[in-house]
Amino acid sequence: MAESAVTVRGRTAANFACVPVRATPGPTDKLDTIHGSRNMALTQTRPQTHEPTSVAARGPSGILEVTDHKEVGRLFIGAGALFALAGVIVSVVAALESADLASFSVAKDADEYTQIWSMGRDLLLFGGIVPLLVGLAVYLVPLQIGSPTLVFARGAAAAFWIWLLGSGLLITSYLMNGGPGGGRRDFVILWAASLAMMIGGIVWALLAVATTILGARTQGMTLERVPLTTWSFFVFSLVGLFSLPILMAELLLAYMRLRYGHLGAPDSESLVGVLNGATIAPAAYWVGVPVLGMAADIIATHTGVAPRFHKMLMGTIGFFGILTFFPDLVGFGSVRTLDLDNGLMVVGLLVMSLPVLATLAMVGDSIRLGKLSASAPLLGALVSGLLLLAATAASVLAQVEPIMGFLDRLFPDQIDMTNTLILNGTTFHEGVRALASGAALVAVAAAVNHWGIKIWGRQPAQSAGSAAVLATAGGAALWGVAEIAAGIQDKAMYPSASSDTSGALGLWGVLAMAGTAVMAVGLVALVASIAGAGFGKRAGTGPQGWSGSTLEWATSSPPPLGNFVGPPVVGSAYPLLDGELAYANAPAGPVDQADETETEES
Amino acid sequence: MASTDMTVADVSVRGIVPPSVTLAEPARPRLLVLGTSLAIAAIAMGYIGLLGHYIAERAAVVQSGSRWLPEGVNIPLTQPNFQGLTLAFSIVTIWWAVSSIKHNDRFYTLVAYALSVVFAVAFIAQTAFLLEIMGADLVAEGVDGERTVLIYAIIGTHLVMMVAAIVYAVAMAFRTLAGEYSSRDYEGVLASAIFWTATVVLYGVMWYVVYITK
Repeated sequence: MAESAVTVRGRTAANFACVPVRATPGPTDKLDTIHGSRNMALTQTRPQTHEPTSVAARGPSGILEVTDHKEVGRLFIGAGALFALAGVIVSVVAALESADLASFSVAKDADEYTQIWSMGRDLLLFGGIVPLLVGLAVYLVPLQIGSPTLVFARGAAAAFWIWLLGSGLLITSYLMNGGPGGGRRDFVILWAASLAMMIGGIVWALLAVATTILGARTQGMTLERVPLTTWSFFVFSLVGLFSLPILMAELLLAYMRLRYGHLGAPDSESLVGVLNGATIAPAAYWVGVPVLGMAADIIATHTGVAPRFHKMLMGTIGFFGILTFFPDLVGFGSVRTLDLDNGLMVVGLLVMSLPVLATLAMVGDSIRLGKLSASAPLLGALVSGLLLLAATAASVLAQVEPIMGFLDRLFPDQIDMTNTLILNGTTFHEGVRALASGAALVAVAAAVNHWGIKIWGRQPAQSAGSAAVLATAGGAALWGVAEIAAGIQDKAMYPSASSDTSGALGLWGVLAMAGTAVMAVGLVALVASIAGAGFGKRAGTGPQGWSGSTLEWATSSPPPLGNFVGPPVVGSAYPLLDGELAYANAPAGPVDQADETETEES
Repeated sequence: MASTDMTVADVSVRGIVPPSVTLAEPARPRLLVLGTSLAIAAIAMGYIGLLGHYIAERAAVVQSGSRWLPEGVNIPLTQPNFQGLTLAFSIVTIWWAVSSIKHNDRFYTLVAYALSVVFAVAFIAQTAFLLEIMGADLVAEGVDGERTVLIYAIIGTHLVMMVAAIVYAVAMAFRTLAGEYSSRDYEGVLASAIFWTATVVLYGVMWYVVYITK
């Protein structure tokens, strides 16, 4: 009965539904077990793996008609990578100005500097990082839970176009002297409207992802068995669904106050502050939630050892998600000026790094037990986790001020508040945001390399993947540390032309600029990696890629329309590792009859 | 059949699933209800965020001994109460639609939908009238204008949600007319009723926060 992975009862792998054809080396014994000796899913002739409705086949106009979740996911990933690159490039310019505020080299004045800084932040977060994560979620979640499609797939496609239109309008508003610090009221108003549009599109896509995970799991795929990547996207989606509408409400108010003349267009600080609820810790860590899940799955695949503490990992990821939601839990009625002295918030930020640390420790168990092989995804998964840990650990520093303030109220005249480390209102928050953003982008680079073959049918180049991971991580670390150091030296978060940037502050500014520049190089490598995989020549029928143990690796690369040959039935969180995978409605055929005969005989 | 007791044979996988596999509950079919519920939660969060603004800003003004409502603005109680009454009627009719479709009674489902929409349109007209008689000036200078903007944002957002509920109901009514829903599957009708109910509940919250406490 023992068969090899590629030849079963005289048939080659290409004849069967779920027999992998590996194009790249990786741990192979697991799949051999499933498709060889256990011989479970070999019940149907393998379908053609190329999708009949691919964008390339339909031409450029066909891109408007996409409804398959895989194509929508690819669109989100491709556009998100380009916007992320644009956002980092604009951030390089902002950092260049910030390094020496005594003289402006690109911007004409402080208002124009604010516009550049704000544009970089908006584009990086809602134009780049979040859409990239949403794209991965839209693509991977149905595959990982055995669903043939994404629930509300047309809605997700509409969400993409709404987001894209909003992104275009956002850039237009900045180019036409709008946005925070802008001088033309109409285009400042357009900034608020376009940002709300972008966020609205993202919320809609997150709604589709969350509904899919809740309601479209295949048989046997209980919520506690979903892969950690899917679980992290579930937490990410829920937190986004419940927190982003609050941000939209803020933008609505800003829009109306601008529209009816109650908020001056150059009132940059209040306009910039509208997004504080998404860009300052702990909300800034929201984009770090999928980092934990993706890192766990990638490390499990590349070490060949599934996490032993699956449910505990789900718990730590969920807890981390809840902590990122704290501003919204405690923020109602605080008029969105984040109440960083709030006791609940302080406690939340103090323990923020614990779930990250616990997750990394449990994932480290796979590294300890498995075989490490150098690869871009593994490197990216490890580095992104460490960056997130650094970001969350840094937030402890910002709690010195509220804790000392609390002690001062308890023991008046015994606490010297003049020597207390005060970080709120400084570039410290910028540093934390840079580290969290870097962690998310590195995780995306790792995911693109890991699931690239599944997404585009071609394995992205390892060299480009490694370059993207290393440069993005290095740049984010340099940028983050420089901003945190400048914050400790009291550099204001919203600097003006009168801000002092001499001495050490100037040095930190230069380092921050260097960090953003290195990060931009990393994103160029990421875009090149995606372009290489997306537009390169496809070699033959779908290869499997890495021998992962979750459900997406049970189908071809890229998956056919409908994803699987039939509804999969799973019996564990890692069905390809545990051999607990079958298909519920596989039609009768020669192989089935043989199986049934064998069963009767036995 | 209890989900945990399901065996492999129950789902006709013809012996290819190992005996250790116990099947969980099959994928739940009511995806539209699920998605609608999540959407309601998201909308409610945004709306509560707006109301949070209102409560915080009002509390600060009242604490300082000033009057919260802008000068010359008056919110009568009669109109908001009748608006609430109208929406209460619509709750009955929208759930009548669900009850009718459960009994395969498409005619009365459509009648119930039509009545619900009539009530909703009446509610919108009442809101427009209330805004008219409130005498609030959106472009008034200073804090008066800012407060008016906040009140308009809260009322306007609810109106948008009401319009969305009407569109949702009309779409489901057309689907019912086309024969898509019956006693076996009335997911869309149920989802639209849930969305409608959430809209009414949010009006109740707004009624208390804005119209009653003023």
